[in-house]
Amino acid sequence: MTTKAVGIYFIDGDHPGAPPGKDFSALIHYAEKLPGVKLAQGTGNGWQWDADAVAAEIKQNDLKRVVIAGDAPGFYKTFFCRAMSMAGKDPENVFVASFREYVALGADETDRVKAGLYCAVLGIPLETAISPGETDVNPDTLVIGGGIAGIQASLEIAKAKKKVFLVERTGTIGGYMATFDKTFPTLDCAACILTPKMVEVAQHPYIKMMSYSEVKGISGGPGNYQVRILRKARKVNVNTCIGCGTCAEKCPGTAPSEFDAGTSMRKAIYIPFPQAVPNKYLVDAENCLYIQSDGKKCGVCKKACPVPDCIDLDEKEKEIVVTVGNIIVATGFKPFDAKRAEQFGYGKYPNVITSLELERLVNASGPTGGFITFRARDKRGNMIFSTANGEPASVALIHCVGSRDENYNKYCSKVCCMYSLKLAHLVEEKLPEADIYEYYIDIRAFGKGYEEFYQRIKGEGINLIRGRTAKVEKSANGRLSIRSENIAEDRIVEQEVDMVVLAVGLEPREDAAELARMLGIPLGEDGWFLEANSHTAPVGTSVGGIHIAGVCQGPKDIPDTVAQASAAASRVIQGIMRGKVKKSAKDMPHKDIEARAKQLAATGGQP
Amino acid sequence: MSYRVDSQLKDEIKKYGISDWNQCFHCGNCTAICPLSEDKNMMFPRKGIRSMQMGLKEKLHRSVEPWLCYYCGECSTTCPRDANPGEIMMALRRYLTSVYDWTGLSKRFYTSKVWEIGAILFFAMLVISIFAFLAPPLDPTLTAQGGVKINSFAPIYWVELGDWLMALIVASLLISNIFRMYLKVIIADKKVKVPLWLYIKEAWRLIFHFGSQWKLSKCDDKKYWVIHWLLMSGYTIMFTVIVVFLPWFQTQEIHPISHPQRFLGYYATFGLLFGLTVAMIGRLRKKDVKFKFSHVSDWLFVIMLFLTTLTGILVHIFRINGMPYLTYYMYIAHLAVLVPMVMIEVPFSKWSHLAYRPFAIYFANLKKSAQKLQAQKYPERAAA
Repeated sequence: MTTKAVGIYFIDGDHPGAPPGKDFSALIHYAEKLPGVKLAQGTGNGWQWDADAVAAEIKQNDLKRVVIAGDAPGFYKTFFCRAMSMAGKDPENVFVASFREYVALGADETDRVKAGLYCAVLGIPLETAISPGETDVNPDTLVIGGGIAGIQASLEIAKAKKKVFLVERTGTIGGYMATFDKTFPTLDCAACILTPKMVEVAQHPYIKMMSYSEVKGISGGPGNYQVRILRKARKVNVNTCIGCGTCAEKCPGTAPSEFDAGTSMRKAIYIPFPQAVPNKYLVDAENCLYIQSDGKKCGVCKKACPVPDCIDLDEKEKEIVVTVGNIIVATGFKPFDAKRAEQFGYGKYPNVITSLELERLVNASGPTGGFITFRARDKRGNMIFSTANGEPASVALIHCVGSRDENYNKYCSKVCCMYSLKLAHLVEEKLPEADIYEYYIDIRAFGKGYEEFYQRIKGEGINLIRGRTAKVEKSANGRLSIRSENIAEDRIVEQEVDMVVLAVGLEPREDAAELARMLGIPLGEDGWFLEANSHTAPVGTSVGGIHIAGVCQGPKDIPDTVAQASAAASRVIQGIMRGKVKKSAKDMPHKDIEARAKQLAATGGQP
Repeated sequence: MSYRVDSQLKDEIKKYGISDWNQCFHCGNCTAICPLSEDKNMMFPRKGIRSMQMGLKEKLHRSVEPWLCYYCGECSTTCPRDANPGEIMMALRRYLTSVYDWTGLSKRFYTSKVWEIGAILFFAMLVISIFAFLAPPLDPTLTAQGGVKINSFAPIYWVELGDWLMALIVASLLISNIFRMYLKVIIADKKVKVPLWLYIKEAWRLIFHFGSQWKLSKCDDKKYWVIHWLLMSGYTIMFTVIVVFLPWFQTQEIHPISHPQRFLGYYATFGLLFGLTVAMIGRLRKKDVKFKFSHVSDWLFVIMLFLTTLTGILVHIFRINGMPYLTYYMYIAHLAVLVPMVMIEVPFSKWSHLAYRPFAIYFANLKKSAQKLQAQKYPERAAA
């Protein structure tokens, strides 16, 4: 465009009523100097959302193209389209420059925002203008995280006969899914779906599984990464251990079982759960008497072990380096720490439990053999669940603990509604006489078959109460008292129950930021890894050869996680097949993007 | 029952001090956490926010719930949306004050700083000019006890006349506005019929709640009950003494400290100063949720009352220490803050809550008892 006929509006906030606070003056200053720009202004204080006025302005300045820029200004596109058509212009010529998406495409924020503005002024999407070129790729792949996402991605790639290194932090692969009893909405047995896949991973000739290991450092670039992996000392030889369990029988050290979400105790030498892969024992150094006493005490496991030289309590951790072309990050989440929401009394009242704890209780292979019981102190002084403690006659489930809350996490954790409905059903199944109450803000049954599942649970005699629980307190008779508004029935309910289950949300892992720094990929606002484009590249990142899958990208359920894992794998395989991988979008300099955008604009958008 | 939706309502109420009316997603947390919220007619704050968002003007005018809230701030602290239900209740109280007020001045004062401060200045200037033109020559001689001859400067007769005139105006405004509140709350609600004897039976609530602030004692933080009660009792004592017993209160004689005129005065001024200082420090520090957001009317209220109390104390000190000119000028200053405060704040602004709140509790209980009676009489209708 030779004449000046572009108008840029900088939108303050991403929704009406959002607090203003952005200082766009530097960007406005930059935008005014771009070729063809006639008008650049912010919609800050005192700006009127009046389509007539904007239309008049467009007409007066004879604007041919309008760019709306801001963090996520897409919301306002319809407003400006209307103003354009009111001014007698083509409403198609409204372009959105969304800074939040651009950040995902580059390391330097202002640099990438400026490039995005430049492209929008020319009417070229930034993603099109960025083409950093390609480089040769190493055919091996690293998958970080051995949950359902990592397992699925590894299997997909291995089935294409490409080598995969699967790194898992704990002693077994399987992740959170292995701890679940049933999956929603079909109520299929989670273990029955997962364990065959776990075994397949262990036996697959193209997968090198590294459990009890962590990624410590990454160097190199797209197509050729050198990854330092720390193989933590398992103290048990994986090749010779026969998993007989004699060592654990004799071991004096105990600790709460991580796999059972702390509902039961395990030994210091332990196997995470009976179907663990690899099905071999490992030693928890912090609770091992021998290690804590520097080899002066104990050591009974070594004596008890029937296999010679299988247990080596003096084994040291070691580091190895692998070279890969692609990396799939599938590190998952951590559950919200229910103690932070003090009003619900978790940690204060023993029978306020989290959904993950209930998940283990209802599981037939769980610590209570599938019985839902009270939590009480056992003979050794540990707070555990046991059938000796009795069963609750009424159970309340509280939704949105730590989610959709400005005090903790603003976002919806997406899975809690459905898993709470599922748990309500399972409680109903295990305790047919019990009264079950479920307190929710909204039921978000968003997936295929989910609404039907919700309707089914509704018909099962579970009391669904619309209203967020304000607090859980101990009532005079020692039971738990819940106060909430029943919005549908227009009253305040004070309900006494025996057990309260908190539907805890999902949070990014504590070390997600550290891993993001190592990999050079950006983190989103909420701390989840940021995808390259939420619509067109949901599993890609701004770094070439690094892909994300599963909950580490944002809360999602098992079907979505598996779908993403397969998608990430397909991107990896695609690159390996061509022998090329895209370089990092963030490495393309501002000047090159501008030049390419100019060239694209000259040829009418065709490269 | 059907309601007419007024899409402008939220914009109207926004002028009374709501930053964001759209935040609330109706989880019900605020209603559940509130220690004062009860079933049916006493459920708040969520339902009030709902009426506001939906533009249910009549329903909002009919509700007394905003008055039942004492703003402990628990709802705002725990709100998952940072929607500030406590502050919305506060704004709804301001809005309802302007709805009850038939003169329309309340709305002007709440929504325009120019009007409110202008009106205060007008009354202040009025007081000063009355003294400037009509005051007798200043008498510098002292009484036998060494006190200032205050009554020679401000004759009891005239001051009392002014007192009664002011009281009459303020009372007629307040009573007519309470009557309008009654029409909106009780009469307009066709679902409830209150029998006459119930009015008498429930009348004790008016005095009890006015005198004890009992509801506030139910809030989690008891210290505000004590502070609020000191403030209220101090104010009530002062008001009664000045309006009803002025000849006894405004004396030239210096009574011994044990005399009720002295110790009642000291108690009242202590209560006022203490409560107001807490409020002012709180509003400056903005740490406590209830003091986080200050509307112009909130500040004017505390400042005017604080200045009135302070000048009153100074008049007293100057008088008993025999400082005639300081006493006289301070007396003018005292009235120049007191008169606008009484004329503006009491009938039209924040202070009207001292009348509306007990009546709101009274009306809410009337409705509750009447509904209970109806339910006994027509159980089938209540069930439906």
